[in-house]
Amino acid sequence: MNTIKRELVVIGGGPAGLSAAVAARKSGCKDILLIERDRILGGILNQCIHDGFGLHKFGDAFTGPEYAQRYIDEFKDLGIEAAMGTIVVSIDQERNLYVSSRKGFARIEAGAVVLSMGCRERTAGAISLPGTRPAGIYTAGAAQNLINLQNIMVGERVAIMGSGDIGLIMARRLTLEGAKVEGVFEILPYPSGLARNIQQCLNDYAIPLYLGTSVIEVHGRGRLTGITVAQIDENNNPVAETERFVSCDTLLLSVGLIPENELSRGASVEMEDSTNGACVDDALMTSIPGIFSCGNVLHVHDLVDYVSDEAEKAGKFAVKYLDGGIASSDKVIRVEPKDGVRYVLPQKIRGDRDFLLSLRVSEPCWDKAVWVKVGNRKVARKKLVRLHPAEMIRIKVRAEKLNGAEALEVSLE
Amino acid sequence: MKTKELICIVCPNGCQLEADIIEGKEATVTDIRGSRCDKGIPWAEQEIMSPMRTIASNVAVEGGDFPLVSVRTDSPIPLECIMDVMREIKALRLKAPVSIGDHLIKNPAGTTCNIIATRNVNPVK
Amino acid sequence: MSNQYDVIIIGAGVVGNAIARELSRYCLNIAVLEKEPDVGMGTSSRNSGVLHSGIHYKPGSLRARLNVRGNALMGDLCRDLKVKIQYIGKLTVAQDEVDVATLHALKEQGEANGVPGLEILNAGQMRKLQPGVGGIQALHSPTTGIICPYGLTMALAESAHTNGVDFFLGHDVCAISREEKGFEIKTSNGKGFKSPVLINSAGLFSDGICRMLGIDEYKIYPCRGEYLILDKRLEGTLSVLVYPAPRKNGAGLGIHLTNTVDGNILIGPSNEYVDDPEDYACTADVIGTLKREGHELLPGLSTSDFIRNFSGLRSKQTPPEVKGFKDFVVEKRKDIPGFINLVGIESPGLTSSPAIAAMVKDLVAEEFPLQEKDSFVAERPGRLGFFHELPPEEKAQLVAEDSDYGEIICRCEQITKKEILDAINNPLGSRTIAGIKYRARAMMGRCQGGFCLPRIVQILEKEFGYKPEDYLLDSKGSYLFTKNIR
Repeated sequence: MNTIKRELVVIGGGPAGLSAAVAARKSGCKDILLIERDRILGGILNQCIHDGFGLHKFGDAFTGPEYAQRYIDEFKDLGIEAAMGTIVVSIDQERNLYVSSRKGFARIEAGAVVLSMGCRERTAGAISLPGTRPAGIYTAGAAQNLINLQNIMVGERVAIMGSGDIGLIMARRLTLEGAKVEGVFEILPYPSGLARNIQQCLNDYAIPLYLGTSVIEVHGRGRLTGITVAQIDENNNPVAETERFVSCDTLLLSVGLIPENELSRGASVEMEDSTNGACVDDALMTSIPGIFSCGNVLHVHDLVDYVSDEAEKAGKFAVKYLDGGIASSDKVIRVEPKDGVRYVLPQKIRGDRDFLLSLRVSEPCWDKAVWVKVGNRKVARKKLVRLHPAEMIRIKVRAEKLNGAEALEVSLE
Repeated sequence: MKTKELICIVCPNGCQLEADIIEGKEATVTDIRGSRCDKGIPWAEQEIMSPMRTIASNVAVEGGDFPLVSVRTDSPIPLECIMDVMREIKALRLKAPVSIGDHLIKNPAGTTCNIIATRNVNPVK
Repeated sequence: MSNQYDVIIIGAGVVGNAIARELSRYCLNIAVLEKEPDVGMGTSSRNSGVLHSGIHYKPGSLRARLNVRGNALMGDLCRDLKVKIQYIGKLTVAQDEVDVATLHALKEQGEANGVPGLEILNAGQMRKLQPGVGGIQALHSPTTGIICPYGLTMALAESAHTNGVDFFLGHDVCAISREEKGFEIKTSNGKGFKSPVLINSAGLFSDGICRMLGIDEYKIYPCRGEYLILDKRLEGTLSVLVYPAPRKNGAGLGIHLTNTVDGNILIGPSNEYVDDPEDYACTADVIGTLKREGHELLPGLSTSDFIRNFSGLRSKQTPPEVKGFKDFVVEKRKDIPGFINLVGIESPGLTSSPAIAAMVKDLVAEEFPLQEKDSFVAERPGRLGFFHELPPEEKAQLVAEDSDYGEIICRCEQITKKEILDAINNPLGSRTIAGIKYRARAMMGRCQGGFCLPRIVQILEKEFGYKPEDYLLDSKGSYLFTKNIR
């Protein structure tokens, strides 16, 4: 079996991996290998043919493939090597990887690793959807892949469970392909996707959105014949007499994304329950020295622009680590989410440089400020008109304000 | 005078706008509130007069490494023209190669936009 | 024109296939008729996958005899067929003195049945085998094991097929008429078959087959058991099976945890009579109960560990108001010469299947002088287990020999393109997506095919010429796609 040594290995050639690799090359790392399991770079962006990507980074509304192409071009212009059709089977704490491809099964010893594997969708099984198991039930992303990349139509009369952005985008996509979308059923009292997608994907096409409503049973033997939906009370139980049958042959699930961290767990990386991603410091380094994490494998982002930003940092810091510029430090400042904050990243701060906190709120609210405090002392504050769990909030914090703090608390007030 | 609520779709912020409108043969917008940036105001005026949308879809490609090439309108089109434009997109057949940015249909359904390719499709032997 | 055979078996579940494979040792023309597009799509693939020891059944009953004998035969059979099996043993746990009495009664009963190695363990001994188990005593049955139930069912069919048995998939028997010498069987797709010997191993539908021959004395009451499947993250949590001591009037053996040979854990099964022998629904109530039980039995369980739920049906002969067990029926009908009838083969049917096959072979031998074939091949070709289970050096070797081993298609279970191609090219000619899933284990992981289904579709399209309308999930009418979008 072949064993090869590489300075930096980036796992995943989606937006995070591409951005990390490009940033690492620009920071001076000559020996980079990006490993991508698909035959093309760009990851999930390839199937996201709708527009709306890149407004923050490029000031233009690109489609997914266009956004990806900008990075792919840069990646290629910089002459970075990509191992295509290659999958990482395992990583250990010493950053030894096993990889598999048609060319062979090999071992790689990496100086540093950037984890950028992205996320996967929650399935019908994961939410223990009651009823039968007929054909015609897809996660929204799988349907998106089949339609946009494989030229395959999944059904004619469609119900969508969950109002995540992919579900909303697919409601429009299927409508444009001639399917009838019977409705989007969201268990929460507010939509999970972005407001603009409610407008341009549902309202534009008169597709009804039913909030506080969920699918409580699936029907059909060979192919799906319909679903039972009902209003859901605050204890997550169906409200009596609100049940109704919706006839459909297809059910798409847009019920959440889960960071794909099986490799990270295999490397004994410390994980965070609230994000399903790694615990990282402000260099985006995990608990295992030399292993970095960024993009949707770290926490699910709302916008690809922020994925690119975060991954750029991970790439730069990985190079800094290789250059001996990141010493492992016992003294870190813990960052803790408090009132109204679902999670905040990074979880650990070294305190020697300015940093950016990324967070999400627990529920929608208006006219609140995100406070970053040490005890009762304000370190940073960002006032917002509208705060929504669907939208990530980023807040800059200056190192000089920390003053030897031991813990930072982030809350809404 | 009437107040209309809109969700701005210019960017992911999705501002909730309120527009005061004097209705008539052609509506007149007198005030727009709630926009967090300066792009929301012209968008809302346009939205009230004649909503415009960008759409994305796929066109069939023969002999390529993908069966489809993803496409979009290079400028917004009137909302009510979407299905007519889709009909032209669906009817088109291309041969590989197709390059990102290629103009594939000029002025579909009488609109002022072009349908452009948003990815490369390379020929396969 | 009807197809003429010596023996026709109705139903390609584990029992029908075991019989087919046993009879394929002899010079006989054999056909198996199966209504589904693949073998083993009913009860055989929808159960706990437990190889029972035989402590639960009355001494002298057919169930007791066939269970103990089947358990003893299974090891060699699985070795020949390259099916995963592990004799990991079982603890039947007592919580109170009433249960302790039950354990002693079970031990006595098991010994009368010829179950080897039974032992009553105190709490300390029991926790040595499985740390953390609550209870005061346990009965340890070392011959209890776990087995891949669909793996066994499919392997039996493939081995039978290799040895000359014809499998007719998608052939639903709709009428049987008696002829001077045997039977004429019609299937709903308009085909006809004739044979002097007919074997009914139609499981949940065995009473319907009986009625086609004017036998009215049997009725099957389908009794549903629901399960939850847990993520492989928890692999290794259980080293031995743990069951509660049976309580009065239970129709099954109680909700428990079962590890599978592929590293998942099952929670279940529940117990609920249903009217329809194909009602494989899962219900919100039972899912809730199973989750609660799961959290109690496995304190480390997190909500993200539930990856799928499924249900199976027991073909019980006892109606809901009676509950309990009735003995298996394996009979040669005196009133209908040539008809071998199997009814009510519920648990422990999987364990008993090789013994049932041997018993049926003896019944067939009363009809024909059986002559052994020289050409019989007992071993199934290929390798036991999956690529991902091999050590790195062997993986490297295999990829060097065949690059299809290098391409991992199912990322959760790390299933290679080679394994998927082998599943598509299965000798029985089943081409359903479920058939690929059960054979290659693709789509069985935590993403449930979200990632690899589109890639498997691509393989079927590019290498097997599939059109969108050709993809079938599992059963008739379970079409996956409607058309090309362009």
